[in-house]
Amino acid sequence: MILEFKDINKSFGEKKVLKEVSFKAEGGKAFGLLGRNGAGKTTSIRILMNVFPQDSGSVLLDGKPIDYDKVSFGYLPEERGLYPKKKIMDQLVYFAELKGMSRKSAEKSIDYWLGRLEMSEYKNKRLDTLSKGNQQKIQLVTALAHNPDIVILDEPFSGLDPVNAKILKDVVKEVISKGKIVLFSSHQMNYIEEFCDSIAIINGGKVVLTGDLKTIKHNYPRNKLIVVSEDAKAILNDYKDKCVPSENGDIILTLDSPRDKRSVMAELSGKYDIDEIRVFEPTLNEIFISYAEELM
Amino acid sequence: MKQFSKIFKFEFKNYLTNKVFVGVTLVFMVLIIGVMFFPRISDAIGSGGDAPSGELPTMLIADKNGNEALIYESFAAAFTDYKVQSVGYDIDFIKEKIISGEVQCAIVTDGFTSFTYYVNNLSMYDVNTAIASEVMQNLYRVNSMIGGGLSPEDASGILSYQISSTTETLGVDQMQNYFYTYVMIMALYMVIILYGQMVATNVATEKSSRAMELLVTSAKPVSMMFGKVLSSCLAGFLQLVAIFGTAFISFNLNRSYWESEEMIGAIFDIPPELLVYMLIFFVLGFLIYAFLYGAIGSTASKLEDINTSVMPVTLVYIAAFMIVLFSITDNNVDSTLMKASSFIPFTSPMAMFARIAMSTVPTHEIVISIALLALSVVGVGYVSAKIYRTGVLLYGTPPKLGTIIKTVFKA
Repeated sequence: MILEFKDINKSFGEKKVLKEVSFKAEGGKAFGLLGRNGAGKTTSIRILMNVFPQDSGSVLLDGKPIDYDKVSFGYLPEERGLYPKKKIMDQLVYFAELKGMSRKSAEKSIDYWLGRLEMSEYKNKRLDTLSKGNQQKIQLVTALAHNPDIVILDEPFSGLDPVNAKILKDVVKEVISKGKIVLFSSHQMNYIEEFCDSIAIINGGKVVLTGDLKTIKHNYPRNKLIVVSEDAKAILNDYKDKCVPSENGDIILTLDSPRDKRSVMAELSGKYDIDEIRVFEPTLNEIFISYAEELM
Repeated sequence: MKQFSKIFKFEFKNYLTNKVFVGVTLVFMVLIIGVMFFPRISDAIGSGGDAPSGELPTMLIADKNGNEALIYESFAAAFTDYKVQSVGYDIDFIKEKIISGEVQCAIVTDGFTSFTYYVNNLSMYDVNTAIASEVMQNLYRVNSMIGGGLSPEDASGILSYQISSTTETLGVDQMQNYFYTYVMIMALYMVIILYGQMVATNVATEKSSRAMELLVTSAKPVSMMFGKVLSSCLAGFLQLVAIFGTAFISFNLNRSYWESEEMIGAIFDIPPELLVYMLIFFVLGFLIYAFLYGAIGSTASKLEDINTSVMPVTLVYIAAFMIVLFSITDNNVDSTLMKASSFIPFTSPMAMFARIAMSTVPTHEIVISIALLALSVVGVGYVSAKIYRTGVLLYGTPPKLGTIIKTVFKA
């Protein structure tokens, strides 16, 4: 399964919210949709889910316009919320039924997911008696219970403690392994980096960077080295013009040319007590900031 | 369609499991049963013995010229609710008795042409002077006739002669219909305004709890709107049936105890075909307003905004109600205003119903009115679903009417 956004445009009144947005997401892999607040992520998600139509462009699934009667979506909205006064099981069944499940299979599937998320004991409680993190897990069940083809998770990790985050990670991995298309939207770059094979960064309604995350990183100019050494002071002193200390005490050394990599590495390891030397690759966080800062 | 039925069931179950909804209905039913059985119960308690006549309040009769004896009999016959006593002409004595509470009131006559009514606290409903005037007038006439040479028997025969009359109503008896029309219009008004607000609040609650974020991606707005509105319509209808049904049954169980109260009897003498019209106008009127309320609810982000947002619709509705109410109270349901109102979809549910109940309306007018209303319901439902779809995703200050209209026609 390949989901493709092709030249999508959308305006609300005078305001152009999406400009020629295009990206591709594959089944069995996670896709990260990144962008600052108000960049157009939620609008893209809503167009994808047919909440409102795009002005132009198309959403394709395996090359054909997506058929909303056949494809099912699982959605964890950024603004969480269900019926606070209703019993958890009742509302979960209701949402699964709205997605076309029969009552019986809905109950079975919900039981499975509640067990998987360690929430079975709460199924007959009212939602507002639960803690925020647990409410979020319930919300996750609404996104997964009907076995959707495309799963959209908007900030899935916000508000979860480390144990719950671990459970969620395992669940997400399970969903990905079933060959579904998983779309992540988050500001927590470490999670995106951990899960997503490809990303799209949206800024001001435009896709400013998209593709395979490894390739993106690899294509960054490889003209910097990270040096970890006991002799950091001496190195900083000797290579004054080319060195800057990084935040954690390592040294970032800029090469005149990427081709000097080997000779400089040899030179350093000959002269000083070196723990580690490697080529510097930017983190997703750094990539995001460099792309998202412009334009806005 | 499948989604609609799921939403309908879910929302309807919400009403049935809502403690306030069930509680209010039950309280109403118990109250009505209490009222309807009241005469029977008080009869059963009171039947231990007739109330002793000594408990009647006392009324004193005196004449300035000492002629109490002449008038006593007539007054005693007219004031059956009082123990009438004739006393000598002594104003101070009479006043003292009244102030001390020993007697309730007194009438002091001056011949047959004038009298003074003494009472401690004059009640709003005191009709004693009117009764006394009539008694005096009769006495005066009889005496004048006797003075003119007629025998006392002939004179009182002439005065008390009863003209017999019968009325044949060819159209509708407005007198009799007045009460139940009034009750039904009131019920229609209450149910629509209460449930309309409930639909608006329901939508706004889903929006403010953000359950909407998930709902708009799970169900079509048209299914959601119709599911919500129709389920509330059914709930409202059931509530009406429960309350009026209880009233009807408990009235019929106690019919014999209510025979003296013509008004109560008139309320329950509703012709069956009028009930059918009531049902039609209830359903259509309910739907057209509930759709509007639902659409407005979707534009409010916070529950606090609801009251101000629904104000315009509520005002239109109250205006319609006022027109109809004044017309039925005036017994003038065929005025031009009412005729026009009975075709305008937002006023026709109450106006046309009132006209059918209290006047004779040609069938084609009824058909046209219902058809117009039904078409408008579909139209308003459709537009409301569109407003809903746009409205539910807008947060912050409620959008202006113009903005809503623009987005609706663009979408």
